[in-house]
Amino acid sequence: MKQTVLQYLALSFTAFVGTLIPDLAHATQMHSGSEGIIVHQLGHLFFLLSMVTLILTINGQGLDRERGWRLIQYSALFFILWNLVALAVHFLDNQVAAVDVTTLSVWKIRIDPANNSRTLANFYYILKLDHLLCVPAIAFFYRGLSTLLAEEEG
Amino acid sequence: MIFSYIPILAVDVLGSFAMIIISTISLHKAKMLREKHPANVVYLYLMWIGSGFTIFAFSRSFGHILKQLLILSSNNEIWHIIGPYSGTINTVSFMLVGLITLFFKQSWNMNRKIINSRKALEKTHLKLVHLNQNLEQQVIERTEMLTTSEHKCRRIFEQSLDTILVTDCQWKIIEINPAGIPMTGYTKEEMVTGEMHIKMLFDDGREWERIQGHINAHEFILNEETAFVRPNGETLLVMITCGVDYGAFGCAKTYHFIIKDINEKKMMEKQMAQAEKLAALGELSAGVAHEINNPLGIILGYTQLLLKQESENSPTNHDDLKIIEKHVHACRNVVSDLLTFSRKNSMDDGRVNLNQVVDDVVKFLINHPDLRQIEMNLNLWPDQPLFVTGNEQELRQVMINLMINAGYALEKRGTITITTTQNNHNQVLIAVKDNGPGISQENMEKIFNPFFTTKPVGKGTGLGLSVSYGIISNHGGDITVESSPGKGTIFTIVLPSAGEDGDRI
Repeated sequence: MKQTVLQYLALSFTAFVGTLIPDLAHATQMHSGSEGIIVHQLGHLFFLLSMVTLILTINGQGLDRERGWRLIQYSALFFILWNLVALAVHFLDNQVAAVDVTTLSVWKIRIDPANNSRTLANFYYILKLDHLLCVPAIAFFYRGLSTLLAEEEG
Repeated sequence: MIFSYIPILAVDVLGSFAMIIISTISLHKAKMLREKHPANVVYLYLMWIGSGFTIFAFSRSFGHILKQLLILSSNNEIWHIIGPYSGTINTVSFMLVGLITLFFKQSWNMNRKIINSRKALEKTHLKLVHLNQNLEQQVIERTEMLTTSEHKCRRIFEQSLDTILVTDCQWKIIEINPAGIPMTGYTKEEMVTGEMHIKMLFDDGREWERIQGHINAHEFILNEETAFVRPNGETLLVMITCGVDYGAFGCAKTYHFIIKDINEKKMMEKQMAQAEKLAALGELSAGVAHEINNPLGIILGYTQLLLKQESENSPTNHDDLKIIEKHVHACRNVVSDLLTFSRKNSMDDGRVNLNQVVDDVVKFLINHPDLRQIEMNLNLWPDQPLFVTGNEQELRQVMINLMINAGYALEKRGTITITTTQNNHNQVLIAVKDNGPGISQENMEKIFNPFFTTKPVGKGTGLGLSVSYGIISNHGGDITVESSPGKGTIFTIVLPSAGEDGDRI
């Protein structure tokens, strides 16, 4: 398994280095400008699905009877929600350009929905507070690990 | 539409810091878990996913903080340059977390297999430990049983009064118990260390060949009587039982002998046969004596009557009648002895002090012509009178017979020692010992026979010892003789004690 993980990491590292040195790939297919956001969105989707898999696996193995694993399940749930929010924000912001955001000062921000919908503006504003989901997610993960460790030590 | 930026800014910046801190301490916890159980693949997975979350938290949080700083400082262009890189790093970190998560199920299954294998291994280990402990216990128990059994067998071997002898397949002695040492007359070293052949114990080599042939043919021999010879030439009768042991656990074939000394038993059988013979003779003698006694009385009466009628003037008849009277008296003495031997005459029994009887007899015989020059030693039991129940006259006669015989054997020169004792079996013993020439082995078996005598014709009737034997037997006692040529003779009378009060015990 370790070898497989290393192969994936090597692949990811190659992709990462490729993005640091952008150049024309003459012998290969040309890529449009929206390709980056689509890859990012797919990354979110992949993250989301992996969290769903984690929840189901924990259930399937009967680990949810233990408090530590239940907390990790909650963590995965919050990461799913956070991924959904992130997907929505990126969709509205970068893919369909449904909103236009301008930072006016430290105190003010202007959100201009394409259809001038106040609801969309409010919805977008709330979605921008995504840390309210990912911080609890990582906090649940921490609590889960702490509980497992305490059980091992107890 | 204008919104307040503070909440977004605050949540973004504080959330980013929180993400960095919490993910870092999460990674630390995951590391502790991993260190707690290095073999646990699930904890390895948790450390990996913790690492993924930390990378994700760091890349995203730094990106967000940088973004906010650049936007607030009106450096949007710079963020537009950096933004794609930050986003790419975030994407890679999502992918990483996702990839690691997908391995969770496999990790869990592997861990479960490892745990199951470990449990099976522990179970097997416990079984092995139990088996090992059980085996040790069993070995201890069996060893104890073996030791007990060996000890028991060893005790039987060592304590047996019969000889137990083991030979190898070449008939060489390899083991013999302590009882075998005095019986064979050889030392253990001579027999075992010297690998002595069992044939050496047999008096007659042909007898051994016969027994060996029987063992070879039937693999056993049961209660076979034969004679052994000791190193000093002395022979003894033995009864042999032998079996073959084909051995176990690779041991060689051995022969096991049980040898019983039947010398004494045979001697007793001979004595019993002798006693029976004497008893039969006694019965016969009593009958004959009774029948002869009356005619002898008539002959003596008429002879004495004729003697009275014969005058001194006819010396021829008178002398003839005297000769007849003398020989009739001699015949009556023989008959009287015979009747005494068979105890047909009746006399009253009573309490007799043997010390007194012996003393009287010695005083009486001290002036006997045959005993006058013989030294008499009298060792009477000093503690108390030795009472027996019986006929004093008869016992006195026994003592006289024994002492006269001893005097005759000494040929008027030597010592007679008379000893009276009492043993722990409530028996009174009288020993008459002389230092004469002893009795030959040939005569030993005949001395109690009636009419057996070594005296010249006319000197003895041959009834003294047989009469004595009859008297002692009738008193419930026994008379034995020990003699070796050149070493003298001891006659020992054993009688039941009557105690101090004179009642037979």
